[in-house]
Parts: sequence; C-alpha cells; structure tokens
Amino acid sequence: MVETLFALLVVLGMLAVGSYAVAVIDGAAGAVLGRTAHSNVFLLPIYQCASFWLVPANTTEAPDAWAWRLAPVLYLTFAAMGLALVPWSPSFIPVDLTTGIVLWGALEPLATVAIFLHGWSANSHFPLLGAYRYVSLGLSYILVSMFVLIGVSLPAESLQISAVVESQRELWNVIRQPLGLPLFLIVGLGISFWGPLNFADSSDLAEGTSSESSGRAKLLWQFGRAAMLVAFSAIGASAFLGGWLGPVLPGPAWVILKTLFILVLLLVLGRLLPRLSPDRFLTLAWVLLLPLAFVDLVWAGVEALP
Amino acid sequence: MTFVDLTFFVCAAIAIYAGWRVFRTDSMVRASFFLLISFIAVGIIMLLLAAVYLGVALFFMMAVEMMVMALFMMMFMMNPAGLNPMNMVHQEKVAMGIGIAAFVALSGVAVFGDFPSRPVPDGLDPVVSLGKELLGNSMLVFESAGVTLLATMIGVVAMTSHRGRFGEANEGSVPPGLEPGGDPAGKPQENDQKQQGHHHHH
Repeated sequence: MVETLFALLVVLGMLAVGSYAVAVIDGAAGAVLGRTAHSNVFLLPIYQCASFWLVPANTTEAPDAWAWRLAPVLYLTFAAMGLALVPWSPSFIPVDLTTGIVLWGALEPLATVAIFLHGWSANSHFPLLGAYRYVSLGLSYILVSMFVLIGVSLPAESLQISAVVESQRELWNVIRQPLGLPLFLIVGLGISFWGPLNFADSSDLAEGTSSESSGRAKLLWQFGRAAMLVAFSAIGASAFLGGWLGPVLPGPAWVILKTLFILVLLLVLGRLLPRLSPDRFLTLAWVLLLPLAFVDLVWAGVEALP
Repeated sequence: MTFVDLTFFVCAAIAIYAGWRVFRTDSMVRASFFLLISFIAVGIIMLLLAAVYLGVALFFMMAVEMMVMALFMMMFMMNPAGLNPMNMVHQEKVAMGIGIAAFVALSGVAVFGDFPSRPVPDGLDPVVSLGKELLGNSMLVFESAGVTLLATMIGVVAMTSHRGRFGEANEGSVPPGLEPGGDPAGKPQENDQKQQGHHHHH
C-alpha cells in the first residue's frame, strides 16, 4: 500500500517537474539559439500557466462537449501511464508489466485517438483540419515506433521494460542498434507534435486542434504535450541508454540524468530541425523512415542471433 | 468482493453500456469511439484473466482500427465532420432478434455449460507460452496469413497510389453528377471534340 502510494507520488512528481523542465529547457534553448526574446526562463512558464488559468474558457457552436473536455485529460493520462512504466531501479518500478513495451506501444495509438477527438469535437474548421492531418501522419509514427520497440525487446527476449534495461548491461542499445534511438526521437517529436513535427497544432492552421480552446482546457492540453515528451524521454532512456545502469551514482539518478539528456536533445532538435510540409513529411516517413525501421529490426534480429 | 471482482463488474458494465451507446448515438465518430471504449473494457477483463499479451494487444489493435474506421466512414458518408446527426441502425428488427438470440445462447452456455476446472499452474508464463504457440506449432499458418495480408496491402497501395506504377490513380474518373445522369459536378470540361460540342449546345 505504502509502495503503491509512493509510486503514484513519483509519477505525479514526474508529470509536474518534467513538464516544468520542458518549459524551462525549451525557453533556454530558444534564448541561446536567439529564437526568442531574452526573459527569465524559470519564471516565464509560471506566468504562462497563470495566464492560461485566469483566461475564461472559450466555447464553440454545438461542440461534442464530453469529448472536448475529456480529450486533454485522456492525453495527459496516457502520458502519465507511460511515465508509470519507467523502471527506476531493479527494485522500484511503479508498473512492472510483463508486456510493458506493448502497453507503451498501445499508448501511442490511444494518444492519436485523443488528439483526433480534441480536434474533431470542437466542431470548427481549423481544429478538424489539424485532427485529420495528425491522423494521416500518426499511422506512420506508430509503425516506426512499433518496429523500433520490437528491436529493443529482441536482445532482451522479453517485452518487460525492466528486462530490456537489464539486457543492456554489456552494451547499450543506442550502440547495439544505432538506428533505434534517432527513429524513436522522431516518433517522440511526432506524437507530442513538437517543433518541426507540430502538424496537429501548427501555426498554419491557427494552432490546429487547439485553435478553439482557451483557458484551463488549453493549459491542460499543453501540459499533456510536455508530459508526453517527458514520457518519451524516460522510455527512450530505459530502452536505449541502459536506464538505471551506470557506475557510482544510484540507479534513479542515472534514470533522471539520461531522461534529461534525451529531453534536452529533443527540445534542441525541435528548435533546430527545419519544418517540412505535412505531405512531404508523410512521403519521408513512408519512403525513408519506415524502411529504416525495417533495417533496424533486421539489424537487431541478426545481432540477437545466438 | 475482492478488487478483481469489483474491476470485473465495473468493466463489464462499461463494456455493455458503451456497446449499447454505439447504436443509440447519432454520429459515426461517436459510434466508433464508443465501440473502442467497449473493447478497452473487454481488454481490461482479459488482463484480469491473466491474458497479459492479448489484453494489451487489444488496446492498440482496437485504437488503430477504430481510428481508421471512423476516418473512412466519415469519408464515405460525405459527412466531413461526422457531426451531422444520422441514424446508426438499419434493419433494426432483424438485428435485435439476432442480437437477443445470440446473447441468450451465449449466456446459456456461460451459465449452464459444464466447464472443466483446470487451474493455471503456478510457473506458467502466459506471454512465453503464447509466443511458443504462435511461433512454434502454428507458425506456418500465422506466417502465411501474415505475409499474404502484407502482400495484399502493398499491392493495393501500389495499384491505387496517386503516383503509383499504373499512372494517375484518378485517371479517367469523373465525379458524380449533381442530378442523376447530369454533368460531372465541379470539374472543368474535358477539352475534346465531344465536350466542345456539348458546350455549344448550351
């Protein structure tokens, strides 16, 4: 009982601290790269939260009220479920499912459903266009992610995330399967529609699926995106960078350091990578990324042969 | 009542309620996602039955399937947002009859059937044994079905793709007329002799 409560607190803490870290690192990256005006990167996220909190909620003509309210909650819940799967040390794993990798693979399509519902339920043009656009791209993210994740579970001979971490004791997957982490990072940017892969809420659609939402609903939606990015970083750290494994420091410290490393990488890439038009990216995803995921899987399979 | 019993009853109630709403709602999108909720509740029940892989697999299979289904139904329904109210049922009398008959028959089997009592042995690992089943004895069947499906999908995409090997996907196709037998709607006239004459006629 105490352990369950502690695990719950850790996941909630990851949600809050991680999302704040996303906002701070993204602001700092923007300031360093000269993309945004210099301001206090530590206080700015708090001001932004306060402003979202105080702004009255918008409504549209005849929205699907249930779906519109629930979509941000669902998206945040899926991010929290992903964070709960992250193993911190051999003895502390909030949810140690024997099919953890598959559950993570299931959260990605469920997040796609939540993003679609968020755009569809507003009953308005731009959100609907963002939703359609995301779904047409979402399938390619899910497929790439699935092959990459099968790749990491091959050497572990298990679908359990802690077993995947343990299988990297000799050599981390980032070296053993060099294509895995880059592909996983692209999927991460895609599913939390961040930076150049922000196709669902992009500015050419007047913020797409969230163009009609405001106030606390929008705050929750942005919170969910940041949390999803943190969940991707933490799962990526476990699947490719050896999770809790490392010298001197205790396991959880390594998990935090590696998660932060991937998070910074994702956010800087989000600032630096060029933006493609959605149809070009779709071609790129199917013609380049998906075959690369196949190569990664074959590579992992050949490497895992006894 | 244990926690497992309670979870079972809650999930069973959600599955039945959401399944009923599929037919009572007025939008293709809502119907698809109510069906998704129903399947997720069934997936949780499968997790309770220690089918760890099948339960989780149901989540992602149904999420993708219902998403694609909602999208395609909206495209074919010419109801771009799926928010226009429409009736979700047809031939409802027959369907209700079949539904009630199937429910009674299956419930009868569940309640009055004589099931063997074979508790799962302690050391059984359901994921490993499922993998052995799929990739051992039944490997030929599953792999042939899988490769056939994959080949079909790639073939369909290759033939119907806009830039596929057989040229433009919409070559020679015309949109339907606004009235039966009328001119194609919203498409510029083809620039050949016959269409020209048609123009003069107007």
